[in-house]
Amino acid sequence: MANPLTLPMVRRSLRNLVARPATRKYPYEIRPSFGGARGKIEFDVTTCNYCMLCMRRCPAEAIRVSREDRIWSIEHLRCIACNVCVEVCSKKSLSMSNQPRKPQTPADGVDGQRPGHEEWHLAAPDTTGAPCPDAETPAAKA
Amino acid sequence: MKRTVIPFGPQHPVLPEPIVLDLILEDERVVDAVPTIGYIHRGLEMMVERVEYTEMGFVVERICGICSFMHGMGYCLSLETIMNVEVPDRAKWLRLIWAEISRIQSHLLWLGLGADAFGFENLFMHCWRMREEILDIFEKTTGGRVIHSVNRIGGVKRDVSDAELAAILVRLEELGKAFKKTASVFATDPSIAHRLVGVGVLSPEDALSTASVGPMARASGLATDTRLGGANLYDQIDFQPVVETAGDCLARVAVRLREVEQSIGIIRQAIDKMPKGEGLPLENRPRGNPAGEAFTRLEQPRGEVVYYVKANGTKYLERFRARTPTFANIPAMIQLVKGCELADVPNIILTIDPCISCTER
Ligand code: SF4
Ligand code: SF4
Repeated sequence: MANPLTLPMVRRSLRNLVARPATRKYPYEIRPSFGGARGKIEFDVTTCNYCMLCMRRCPAEAIRVSREDRIWSIEHLRCIACNVCVEVCSKKSLSMSNQPRKPQTPADGVDGQRPGHEEWHLAAPDTTGAPCPDAETPAAKA
Repeated sequence: MKRTVIPFGPQHPVLPEPIVLDLILEDERVVDAVPTIGYIHRGLEMMVERVEYTEMGFVVERICGICSFMHGMGYCLSLETIMNVEVPDRAKWLRLIWAEISRIQSHLLWLGLGADAFGFENLFMHCWRMREEILDIFEKTTGGRVIHSVNRIGGVKRDVSDAELAAILVRLEELGKAFKKTASVFATDPSIAHRLVGVGVLSPEDALSTASVGPMARASGLATDTRLGGANLYDQIDFQPVVETAGDCLARVAVRLREVEQSIGIIRQAIDKMPKGEGLPLENRPRGNPAGEAFTRLEQPRGEVVYYVKANGTKYLERFRARTPTFANIPAMIQLVKGCELADVPNIILTIDPCISCTER
């Protein structure tokens, strides 16, 4: 039988007993997100012109845009954080925040909305409504 | 002698993945094993008929969480072949670097799971602590820890600055030093040797006749490595496949241990050779719809993967198929399991590094 103290792992394990832990005491200690991490889609209702391109290109069908009702909505639980909508939006209304969504329960829905569902209504219908210039790129959905 | 049939999996304490095997035993010895494939079949290949080819890349990435980068890359490479797209140089190099980082990540994950399977909980945690650093690198550079979503048909979506690449290299080399110490535990610890040496020996002839791939074949002395073909810039990298000759479970561990260090070396060479600078082109987006078919082969952490894509000129592909390395290694695994003791079955199964999500898609 080998002397256990000559085994490399035994020595490391003993050292680990007094070393700083490798894990954090979540949720008391939260690691800040990295700059480019993809967390959650943020929407800026003031610049959107309802061109619907984000809805057409979203692979998870998480975004719903209705030009008639002037509603822009996102289902965060469907969103796969692929960043495609941010890339296609020519109005820069969409951005990817590096903060993940907070956990929610059914009671947490904001303003009576379902958890994970966010909806914006534009107050006055905008009649200028020019579509985004690249709304008709060949790769866009018909 | 009376035979007993023991269902092994889909839920089993040692299995990270729901592999399904019926073990036929005589006393403690396994005389036969019957695999069943399809427990977690999700029909991802069929989705090409409903999901546009531009969006299918995000589905393909989700075939498996460990090789997600390479799945996305293989799909994009196939479509780039069909559509005749020349990918910008820097994007190719970034893909190579990310692919090698995923290899390190996958091997560290597996080494941890392997340690857990032969009852070395402490070593498992050491491996996964190192893997966490790799995942941090992924999160910083691609934006996602597991699903990276940086591959697009025609290139990649994100650049990594030269300063960041240099910092990654420094971190990887530090990690390499720490890894050497952990690797020495795998190589020298008598309790590991007791569980793995001489267990599940696959001879080179059997490795060849069962068409095994990746670390499994290399541990049996076959110098097969898809990267040797030189596609995807590997012709500009100086490397030799890691080959062990013993063919037992420890040899398969040793191949992966050495491949982690090899990948760090490949990343170092790639960072040296890639075109430097800000604002280099990264994406060459194709126009129109693809028509034609393509085969792509890649060396994933678990071995060779083959993608087949057939496009018919519409935005929906006609066929997409992935032949994953675990699928190719199952015949060899069945052969190894026959004749071993029941207690060795978990080690043998784990040393092929089964990825059942990939296999059953
Ligand atoms: S693409 Fe941009 S501007 Fe167009 S609907 Fe979406 S968020 Fe609004
Ligand atoms: S990030 Fe991707 S999945 Fe999420 S809303 Fe945007 S396009 Fe859809």
